Amino acid sequence: MKKGLSFKTIAACLALVVFASFAASAQAKVQLTMGSWRADDVTQMTQLLSAFSKKYPNIEIKFDPTNPPDYNAALHLQLQSGIGPDLMYARSYDTGIQLYKEGYFLDVSDLPGLKKVYSDLARAPWVDPASGKSFALPFCAVSHGVYYNQDIFKKLGIAIPSTWEDFLAVCKKLQAAGVTPLANGIADQWDINEVVFMNIMPNFVGGAAGRLAYETGKVPFNDAKMVAAFQAMKDIAPFCPKGFEALTYNDENALFVNQKAAMYFDGSWTMASFKDLKFNWSVFAPPPPKGSKGYVTFHPDSGIAINPKSANIDACKTFLQWLYSDEAASIVSNSVPTGFFPIASNAAKIEDAHANAFLQMTKSHPTDVRFVWPKLMSGNPSGYNLLQDGAIAVMTGKMTPKEAADSLQAGLAKWYVPAK
Amino acid sequence: MKRSFRTPQDNWIVWLLFALPAVVVYAVFMAFPVVNSMRLSFFSGSGYSLNNFVGFDNYVRLFTDSEISKRFWCAFRNNWIFFGITMLVQNSIGLLFALILTGKPLKGKGFFRTIIFIPVTLSVLVTGYIWKLILNPQWGALNILLSKIGLSSLALPWLGDPRSALVAVTLVSAWQWVGMPTMMFIAGLERIPEDLFESAQIDGAGIWRIFAKVKLPLLMPIVGIVTVLTFVGNFNAFDVVYAMEGANGPPDYSTDLMGTFFYRTGIAGQHPVGIPDMGLGAAVATVTFLVLFAGILIAGRLTGERNEDPGRSGAERRA
Repeated sequence: MKKGLSFKTIAACLALVVFASFAASAQAKVQLTMGSWRADDVTQMTQLLSAFSKKYPNIEIKFDPTNPPDYNAALHLQLQSGIGPDLMYARSYDTGIQLYKEGYFLDVSDLPGLKKVYSDLARAPWVDPASGKSFALPFCAVSHGVYYNQDIFKKLGIAIPSTWEDFLAVCKKLQAAGVTPLANGIADQWDINEVVFMNIMPNFVGGAAGRLAYETGKVPFNDAKMVAAFQAMKDIAPFCPKGFEALTYNDENALFVNQKAAMYFDGSWTMASFKDLKFNWSVFAPPPPKGSKGYVTFHPDSGIAINPKSANIDACKTFLQWLYSDEAASIVSNSVPTGFFPIASNAAKIEDAHANAFLQMTKSHPTDVRFVWPKLMSGNPSGYNLLQDGAIAVMTGKMTPKEAADSLQAGLAKWYVPAK
Repeated sequence: MKRSFRTPQDNWIVWLLFALPAVVVYAVFMAFPVVNSMRLSFFSGSGYSLNNFVGFDNYVRLFTDSEISKRFWCAFRNNWIFFGITMLVQNSIGLLFALILTGKPLKGKGFFRTIIFIPVTLSVLVTGYIWKLILNPQWGALNILLSKIGLSSLALPWLGDPRSALVAVTLVSAWQWVGMPTMMFIAGLERIPEDLFESAQIDGAGIWRIFAKVKLPLLMPIVGIVTVLTFVGNFNAFDVVYAMEGANGPPDYSTDLMGTFFYRTGIAGQHPVGIPDMGLGAAVATVTFLVLFAGILIAGRLTGERNEDPGRSGAERRA
């Protein structure tokens, strides 16, 4: 002992140091998972998340998406069983509010600088109206429009229609020239409902103000404007491809890509499938009936929420704060998947030309969200289903537009108080 | 006298030990969940936390709420149509194949048996997706073929028309499973002693009479088993509809079966909100179980009674 530190003591100290450094690094490196319904966006989101990890090397986030139709159910089950992800995409309005009420989302209203970057209007889709709390950070919105094949339009000397009547005339002209005017089908029911019917809906009901009139009970759901909206769906049915009753979303994309159809009602996210097409294409806003104002459906699609049961809530909050920070703005804008538009007010310019075409539409038109999302989805029969079944029925000739509108009113009256 | 272990009564403990593992697995993974589901159908609440006892409320809602009962009876009716077409097409064709394959010597019997049975071994989802592609109105093989031979008026959107969608889905299911009744009928036909046919032929019976008076009556137990298996399989059907049409049973709920109705109600919830009502789902599942139970009892009784040939053993008579 008098000889100084024995070998054993030195070895013990070394071991302690090594062990401590392992423990420290294990503690410092945090692994988070992020759930989402965008299984198509793995590459881009991984890119975005690695950019975050460059700034914060001790936090690593894994993007773990689920198949879109299963996301809500799968997430719900995961959250109930306590195995939910740390961060997750949150749907806007009712679906998200429901999960917040059940205690699965953390209240994020107090994130520093949140209200500066996101206006009240921007935060609203992810705010619980009862408590006024934000349950998710607004992330991305999607836009809707009419994709069109510029080469075919040029060849046949067709100009972009400015009224709905002109639009139908363009369809007739295309059909006479042997080109299928529209690529849309009805086999994927969500598709005809969300990207066609709700795409043109604001044009017929008068945008956000018109929608509010329905929601507050000022006008019944089967008034002339709604009948006109269903009539518009009936009007486009003859211009859909042969066998459209059995065509799915993927078939529709293929028809547009193969130039078998000249136009295509769809959302901005499909841009990702239209990269490197061999022809010139762009989008235009669906034209309103003559005399009405034209709107674009710009829909708040995804927010990001924190799981209150996460073991690393601080790391999650760090990520959210980074997401809307000024320094991350251009990374975010150019990493988010094509066709998704960051809602943050400090969002940087997007490089993609087609994405800018969509943004141009939202700048030059007043916008509204998808008709049923804010208030009409939580009861049975859901406004979503009533619109969907009604639209499909008028397109296949099973119901008249008036009957479809009446069915919407009667169905909503069963549970939606202002409609009674 | 030396104790023999031939019958269970002799040394029931040993027999019990042999049966125990299977009984435990069955009880834990099949019997308990079924009973627990029935218990859960008397509760309500949010998701897994079904802790609000509501008695028969879920059943009352299932049968009286206009929206829910409309969907339920539609799904119930569609299941019967599915079963009817399957019995008519799948099982008759299965019997026909079996008769051909056990009849006069046929070249390549083994080959035919194999190719008839291969679809059974395929994944239901993969089969569904492939047939969905074949039936696609724009680029599906069926419609292209019909157009090429001049029948383009028949090149219809099969899966998009409420009148044909369920039939199409059922036929795909029948195509996939026809190998099962074929195999079972072959086994049944091969057990019939040859001398019965020979004596019938000596008596001057033709093919049809031999079939109607000799083969069919002796196949009744197999017919019973096939009917029961078809009934249970059809009323549990979900994958083929999910693959070809989706969980909503489009077009216009014409392909909505009890399986898809249950899935929408109790598991996935309605798109896009996606919040399920598990108590109601458990009620749907329990009703499905009761329908199956009743069906099996009835089918078993009907086909068991017909088998009164005194030459058969007691076990066959009870089948």
